Amino acid sequence: MKRRKFLKDSALAAGSITVPYILPSGLLFAQQSPLKAKHVVFVQFAGGLRQQESVLQRYLAGSQNEQVEGNIMYNLLDGPPPTDKIAYGTDDVSNNIVGAFPINPILQTPLQKLGVLFPEVRFSKGGAGHFNGLSTGVSGNYYVTSGLRQRTASPTIFEYLRKHAGFKATDCWSVANSLTGSRSLLNYSAHEKYGRRYAGNFIAPTVTFGAPGKEHFMNFKNYHPDTDYEMFREIRGFLNQNFTNEGLEIPHLYNTPEEENNIREFVRQTFEKVKEGRISAPPVSDNGDLITLGYTVELIRWFKPRLTIVDLSNIDVCHGDFTAYLKNIHRADHGIAFLWKEIQSIPEMKDDTIMIVMPEHGRDEDHNSIKDLNDWYSYDHSGSPNARRIFTLMVGPGVDANLKRGSEQNPVGDAADIVPTIADIFGIKETVYNAGLLDSAARSLFDRI
Amino acid sequence: MNMQVSNNKAFHLIIAGLITLLSSCQKDFYVYQIDDQTILPVNSQKIKPKSVAQYISILYTNFFQKAISPNSMLSAQKAIESIGDKQVAFDILLSKYMNDPNVILPTKEEMLNNPEAFIRATYKRFLVREPTEAELNWMLNYIKSRPNVTPEHFYFAFGTCNEHFHY
Repeated sequence: MKRRKFLKDSALAAGSITVPYILPSGLLFAQQSPLKAKHVVFVQFAGGLRQQESVLQRYLAGSQNEQVEGNIMYNLLDGPPPTDKIAYGTDDVSNNIVGAFPINPILQTPLQKLGVLFPEVRFSKGGAGHFNGLSTGVSGNYYVTSGLRQRTASPTIFEYLRKHAGFKATDCWSVANSLTGSRSLLNYSAHEKYGRRYAGNFIAPTVTFGAPGKEHFMNFKNYHPDTDYEMFREIRGFLNQNFTNEGLEIPHLYNTPEEENNIREFVRQTFEKVKEGRISAPPVSDNGDLITLGYTVELIRWFKPRLTIVDLSNIDVCHGDFTAYLKNIHRADHGIAFLWKEIQSIPEMKDDTIMIVMPEHGRDEDHNSIKDLNDWYSYDHSGSPNARRIFTLMVGPGVDANLKRGSEQNPVGDAADIVPTIADIFGIKETVYNAGLLDSAARSLFDRI
Repeated sequence: MNMQVSNNKAFHLIIAGLITLLSSCQKDFYVYQIDDQTILPVNSQKIKPKSVAQYISILYTNFFQKAISPNSMLSAQKAIESIGDKQVAFDILLSKYMNDPNVILPTKEEMLNNPEAFIRATYKRFLVREPTEAELNWMLNYIKSRPNVTPEHFYFAFGTCNEHFHY
């Protein structure tokens, strides 16, 4: 009676009527607060993005002895583009001018005006390395000593959602633009109470549908899911039943048989589109980030995931080519706008999806010694204060429009905030906090507003 | 007097003989006991997962009766790594192999002509061991009860089962 009263009171206190149910973990799930949206897409604008070329809209000013300012992310941010020294667009091949033609904006209104911008967020701890940054983004914690090839010690948001909110495996997708930098390890943690049992699915589509996948997957035999696979599963199930060494199994992600069939069918159908040249792609698709975002659109159209996390990386060329860095920032902006526009064309996700965009870390204020074809200096990311400056942009239903929170003098937000924010959107914020596995600085961005 | 001495000697000889007889012919008694033994399944020694490279290499060899090329191996590893759920990835990879005209499989006639030999050979090929009697019976019953089952179904299931992924 007391338990029933508690559940009733909780639901009433949250202002929503939800029916508690038993989770796969055996726990009773009672949503703690109303859903803010049914879907979340989190774009890790990764590769190391400086504030100077993004929210500060400095373009070349301050970095290259060229006093040209302007906004090269005009789909995301509000501000006029540069008017001189244009080098970030598509190439003028006939006149051999690199980046001469800026890419036309996709969105009529920049996302900043439709949502909340936290212009000065801090990547506050740990090394400013790509995998560290990406790991913080998905797990809400920092890793001072963690190296590549190691899963995060704290649970990822996928695991929280699968364990505490009853999400299916195919509700959760980690999409990587490549396999470099241990990106394939971002879909679940090494935490003993979470881990692979509650993993999200992972795909690196430029590999799955690129040369390796074409050689080893494309045109795979189309077994019938109800006849052939039934027999595979019966025989395999018998064999697996007789191989009972604890924990020794092919590292699957606990997709149900129906989900496994669905993933295979997605792979098959996507290959058909590849063969016919019908894969979704932004109007300009001349780098890996843009191609990845195109495949991400294919994936979300197919699965309508509750949570999709996609990471980019092409701006990392800034270690040795500042011009290419500018071009890839401009393209990431273009690709993210394309993704947002495509989300609005999917009936199940339109107006019911919150998108969050955040770089995994910044870059140094001081350049290194490498110059590119324009004689412009390059920048590394060493963990300097400038490399800890990032921004976060959030847009979607229930998110305040045209709001800016924080400044250089008064930073608001932390890189670890995304996990509690997503948990907040899906109504399990308190459970995630109570697990005690987030960084102490992590807070829901809704609470920071 | 002499008679009495003689009687005493005889008595002592009898006693000594009895003592010698009893002590020398005492039967040993042995008590046999059985020590507790842990009975492990036949596959219990397989406790290490294969690396993806090892798994692909062995899988390819089992289906094509030749080694995979180094370049193809590298490419296959990437393809597998690009999909998070390895059961799904292995299923797709093997489905691709099954569509290759060079894949080597027993015919259904071979399987039906001597099901026991087929099952034993399949266990040896993929799991490097003989089936237990229970396993053999289950498999033979499966062949009997499923007229549509083919060697391809068995090879697919054996190639993608947990035991095949371990050594």
